Amino acid sequence: MLFKSVYNEFIKIAAKPRSYLGIGAITLLVGVILFALKSDGLSILSFVTSSFEQTLSFEGNLLNGNLIAFIILQMLLVQIPLLVALVTGDLISGEFAMGTIRIVMTKPISRTTLLLSKFIAGAVYTACIIIWLGIMALIFGRIFFGTGDLIVLNTDGLVILQEHDVLWRYLSGFAVAFLALLTVASLSICLSCFSENSIGPIVATMSIIILFTIIGTLEVSVFDSIRPYLFTTHMASWRNFFEEPLPKTEIIKSVIILVAHILLFLGISMYTFNKKDISA
Amino acid sequence: MPESIISIQHLSKSFGTFQAVKDVSFQVFKGDVFGFLGPNGAGKSTSMRCMLSLIKADSGDIRLFDLPIKNHREEILRRTGSIVEKPDFYKYLSAYRNLDIFARISGTYSSKKEIYAMLDFVGLNGREHDKVGGFSHGMKQRLGIAQTLLHNPDLIVLDEPTTGLDPQGIIDIRNLILRLKEEHQKTILLSSHDLSEIEMIANRMVIINKGKSIVEGSVKELMSTENLFIRLEVEPQQKALEVLKNAFPDIPIQVKGENQLEFHLNRNQVPSISQLLNSHEIAIYSLESKRSLEDYFIKIVQQDAI
Repeated sequence: MLFKSVYNEFIKIAAKPRSYLGIGAITLLVGVILFALKSDGLSILSFVTSSFEQTLSFEGNLLNGNLIAFIILQMLLVQIPLLVALVTGDLISGEFAMGTIRIVMTKPISRTTLLLSKFIAGAVYTACIIIWLGIMALIFGRIFFGTGDLIVLNTDGLVILQEHDVLWRYLSGFAVAFLALLTVASLSICLSCFSENSIGPIVATMSIIILFTIIGTLEVSVFDSIRPYLFTTHMASWRNFFEEPLPKTEIIKSVIILVAHILLFLGISMYTFNKKDISA
Repeated sequence: MPESIISIQHLSKSFGTFQAVKDVSFQVFKGDVFGFLGPNGAGKSTSMRCMLSLIKADSGDIRLFDLPIKNHREEILRRTGSIVEKPDFYKYLSAYRNLDIFARISGTYSSKKEIYAMLDFVGLNGREHDKVGGFSHGMKQRLGIAQTLLHNPDLIVLDEPTTGLDPQGIIDIRNLILRLKEEHQKTILLSSHDLSEIEMIANRMVIINKGKSIVEGSVKELMSTENLFIRLEVEPQQKALEVLKNAFPDIPIQVKGENQLEFHLNRNQVPSISQLLNSHEIAIYSLESKRSLEDYFIKIVQQDAI
């Protein structure tokens, strides 16, 4: 039954126009960034490297596909949660808003199975978004800008990663970014269980992300104890894969906290949805 | 004793401080077309939702196919097809795709051919691939009935299936329900505001009011104890009125139009009317008598209010 229900959820997601907003927005945004960097990328790069030119000399193609992909990810991974929540925030509440939940729940499918199928479908959609972002950033970046070593400017200074050492970092980074977005998807599905309209969970998800991000960036000691446990603190942990040496402990900690949040949100969703009266 | 398909005993459900259902009990037997009657807000939909486990009852015993819904939900729903309130579908999907989606989670495999045949059965042939968003209310009702029947359930639960339909649509749905009973031997629970419809198609019924069941039984038996509604077209009207008032002094008679009189009379006294009027040389142009479930329903509900 789970497999059949997941298949149903794929059909619904594929048929909804809003599901293509994410893919369309990524295509457009990456296209704009690629165009801007192609037009004026070298001057932007020289602005960054100028402070190091007294001590270092740069040779080769610095503005390459690897750097472009890094810039794109840095820019877009902040906006993508909204694109994910647009679809996942509607998965349960949309059924209530349309009234279809009444028919679905008079079929011999358990509420837990239905919720799990929606979660799995939401996870696959999130994976599609990340994969499309990866294709746009890495493949199109390399097509238009070629390849080469990756220079990353971190808080500790410049990190130079050799060309052959970059791809696995991107793949790992995308995997962690997927976990971060799946946390957002789980949160929006969880909020979707409390609502009977589609807009509420989407707005609430973004509000929570903004609130947690503000708490995470405010240098106030009162938040010191909670800051490391906020999922928003770990949403950019994909960047850890572009550090040298690799901060393994930090990465593992981030993965654990993100997975814990996913399980927590899923648990709350199951409890709420199983208890909920379907009076829509 | 016929096989019990639905057995509801002392069902109650509250939403906060509002008690929607206080004490509803009734039983539906195999092969029944069972009318579920009650004024707006009586608790019909809440009872039906509890019965189908859409909402959890506070107390009471709900058994379908002699199994408690609490522990056998999926087994029961596999044998049940239902529409609760209005039939809502995925507007962005076609009629075919909607049925395909619901068939997949109905516990019984339905082939493409069966889905097309069902759409044909409810009169939606030619519209299979149109998006439901463009369907009229009547078409959605038909599609609702199609999704109810597709997995060939033993029990069909229809919540006001004719609401919002035009007269032809009402006749079509009524005929469809009768076909389901007669040709497919289905057990049908039907709630409706159209009392005459229940009278026409149901063999048993329950009336609920303010969350309580007031009366349950065979429609015929319940009606046979009732007065009939009589409409007479006579001439001279005034003389007829006097004769009838003398003969039935306790019965209020209403004068309608130039030659019409309307009143309620016990079934056994109806044959005497024509004799009585003829003996006073009063011409009878027409004598219409009918049972009125509506009157019965209002009387029962009013009695309960006292």
